[in-house]
Amino acid sequence: MAELFDIIKKLCNADGTSGDEGDVTKLILSMLPSDCDTKIDPLGNIIVNKKGAKTPKNKVMLAAHQDEVGFIMTYITDDGNLKFTTVGGINPEVVIGRQLHFKNGTVGIVGGKAIHQQSPKERDNPVKLDTLTIDIGASSKAEAEKYVSLGDCAYFRSDYTELGNGYLREKALDDRIGCAIMIDMLNSELPYDVTCVFTVQEEIGTRGAKVAAYTVKPDYAIVLETTTACDFAGNDGEKRVCELGKGCVVSYMDRGTIYDRELYHLGFEKAKEIGAPCQTKTLVAGGNDSGAIHTSVGGIRTVALSVPCRYLHSPSCMIKKSDVTSTARLAYAMYLALAEK
Amino acid sequence: MLYSLCSVDGVSGDERSASEVALSMLKNYTDDCSIDDFGNVTGHIVNTGNKPKLLLDAHIDRVGLIVSFIDDNGFIKVGAVGGPDRRVLAAQSVTIHGKEKIKGVVSVLPPHVKSGDGVPKIEELVIDTGYTKQELESRIELGDRITFDCEPTAMLGTRYCAGALDDRCGVASILVALEILKGKELAFDLDVSFTTQEETGERGAKIAVYDLDPDYLLEMDVSFAKTPDSDRAKCADMSKGVMIGIAPSLSRELSNSLISLAKTEKIPYQLEVMGGETGTNADTMSVNKSGAKACTLSIPLKFMHTPAEIIDTEDVISTAKLIAAFAKKGGAANG
Repeated sequence: MAELFDIIKKLCNADGTSGDEGDVTKLILSMLPSDCDTKIDPLGNIIVNKKGAKTPKNKVMLAAHQDEVGFIMTYITDDGNLKFTTVGGINPEVVIGRQLHFKNGTVGIVGGKAIHQQSPKERDNPVKLDTLTIDIGASSKAEAEKYVSLGDCAYFRSDYTELGNGYLREKALDDRIGCAIMIDMLNSELPYDVTCVFTVQEEIGTRGAKVAAYTVKPDYAIVLETTTACDFAGNDGEKRVCELGKGCVVSYMDRGTIYDRELYHLGFEKAKEIGAPCQTKTLVAGGNDSGAIHTSVGGIRTVALSVPCRYLHSPSCMIKKSDVTSTARLAYAMYLALAEK
Repeated sequence: MLYSLCSVDGVSGDERSASEVALSMLKNYTDDCSIDDFGNVTGHIVNTGNKPKLLLDAHIDRVGLIVSFIDDNGFIKVGAVGGPDRRVLAAQSVTIHGKEKIKGVVSVLPPHVKSGDGVPKIEELVIDTGYTKQELESRIELGDRITFDCEPTAMLGTRYCAGALDDRCGVASILVALEILKGKELAFDLDVSFTTQEETGERGAKIAVYDLDPDYLLEMDVSFAKTPDSDRAKCADMSKGVMIGIAPSLSRELSNSLISLAKTEKIPYQLEVMGGETGTNADTMSVNKSGAKACTLSIPLKFMHTPAEIIDTEDVISTAKLIAAFAKKGGAANG
C-alpha cells in the first residue's frame, strides 16, 4: 500500500481542472502497465481494458475522475489584475488569501484591501467571487498578458503533507485517490477482465462519465470517489455526514443518484467479509459520476465507494490513510463479486 | 535575506526565533548588539558620544493565532494575536509552534453542505491537526503560537510574496541601509532596534526605546499598496518607491528634509499623509523620555495581515537608500 500513496502523491502534484486534464492524463498513461489496451476518447476520458485470467460473467467498469476544481481566467484589468471564474464549485472564502499558480510557473495571490481599511460590515461578510482578482505582480495589462492569456487555468498550490496520526492534506485528493486505486489495481495480475475509466469534466457536471459509460456499456459500474466529511468541531449528529477513520463510504443516495439497493447492501456485506471498516453518509449531499453512469445506455447498476474527505474543494483536502486502504480493498472485493454475480 | 526573515515564526510575544535570525544578520555590522528580556534586538552601530543619536527601528513580530483550548476530539480553538484578516483563514494551512512544529488546517464546510453565511469570528475557528487530544498534549500546550503557512516566492519582476513581510521587509530595509553605510562617515551616532509586540500595541518598542533614548527616529514599517477594491486616496502605488510619512505626530521638519533628500539623491518616493498618530512604533518611540523627532518610511504592501503579503523589493531598496542618505548627510539634524 506504500506504493498506492506514492501514486497519490505523484497524481496530486499534477494540475488538471475540468477541460484542462492533459497533464494528469499523461501522468496516468505513464503509470499504466504495457499489457493494457488503452484509448482516449474525444472528450479526453482514458478507457483502459485489461485482460484477467478469466472472462467474467458480467462486464465491470471502475471509474474515477481525473479533474480537480480550479480557476479559469476571464479578463485582465488595465492595471494587470486577473478576473476569473471557478471551474467546479469553490467557495470564495477558501480562495481569498491563497497562493495560486499557472502551469507556466507564474504565481498569483488572491487578495483584497487590508483588514485595517475594511468596514466592520466588510470584515463580517464573506467576499463575493466576482469581486476577487488575482495579482501576479504585473503593473499593467500588457505586462500581465506576457504571462497569462484568457482561458488559462490557475491552481491551488500542491502541498502533499502528512498530518497528525495517519492523515494526509493535499489539494487534489478529490479524485486522484480514485485514479490511484485503479492504477494500483491495473498494475497487478487480475482474475477477471476489467475496464477502468479515468473520466474528465466531473466537476462541471459529470460530463466525461456520460460518454465513457456509453462507450464501455458495462453490466455494473463501481465509482471510486472522495466524499464530504464534516466530522470536525462544531458539527454534531447527522451534520457530520461521515467520519474519517471509519472506513469506506457506501452511499444510498446523493444529489445525483439513488443507488441500487442490492449493491448498497452487497457493499456492506463484502466489507464485513474482508474485515474492512465501512460506513454510509448521514446527509443526502454532493454527487459524482454515478449520476451520469447509472442513467447511461438504458441504465447501469452502479455502486459508489468513497474515501471520506474533510474540506473538499479547498487547497487543504484532508483524508485518513486507513480509509484509502479500506476503500481500495473494498473496491477489489466488489469487482470480484460483481464479475461473478 | 527576505526568505530567511520570512521563513521563521515569531508571532507577537514569541519572537525569539525571528529575533535570533535578525541578530545574526545585524552582527555583520556591529558586535555591540543583543536580544533583551522582551525579545527586542538592539545594536549600536556608531557610538562617538558627541553626535545626535539616530535610531532606525522596525518591528520583528508578525500576526498569528494562539492556542486557547483543545477539545476532547483534539480540535484546537484559538485567539487572535494582532489583527489577522479573518476573511482569508478558511482552509488555510497553519503551523503550531509547540514542542514540535505541528501542521494543521483551519476547518471549513465544503460547498456541498454549506448553507450559512458570515465570516467566522476568531473564537469560532477550529484547527484540525489529525491528532487526538492525548496525542496533541504531548506535542503542544495552551499559549503556543500559530502561523499561517506561505512559501516565500518570487513573483514577476522584483515583486515578492511571503507571510510576515509586515514587517520583516522593514527589518531588511535597515540591514540593506547598514550595508550601504559600511565604512562611511555619518552625521549621527547610529542605533538599530528590531522590536517585539508591535502588533499587540507597540509594547516592545516602548521598552527598547527607553535605554536607546534617540534624538531622531526613522521608523520602517509597511503601509497599504493599492489593490483593485481599495480606496485610491488611502493607498500608495506598489513599485513607486518609499512612502515618506507626514502626520501631526511626526516631525514635519524631518519629513521635509527626507523629501528634499529623496529629490536630490533621485530616490523614488511617495507621500503618506496621516491625520493623527501613525499606527506604527513611531507613535510610542517619539514620546520616550523628553521625546524624539520621528518620521515613518513605509514600504507599500498588498494584502496586509494575510498569509500571502506582496511587496516590491525595489521599494525596500529605495527605503534603504533614503535611510542611508539621511544617516550620512543629516538634514534637519545639521540644519
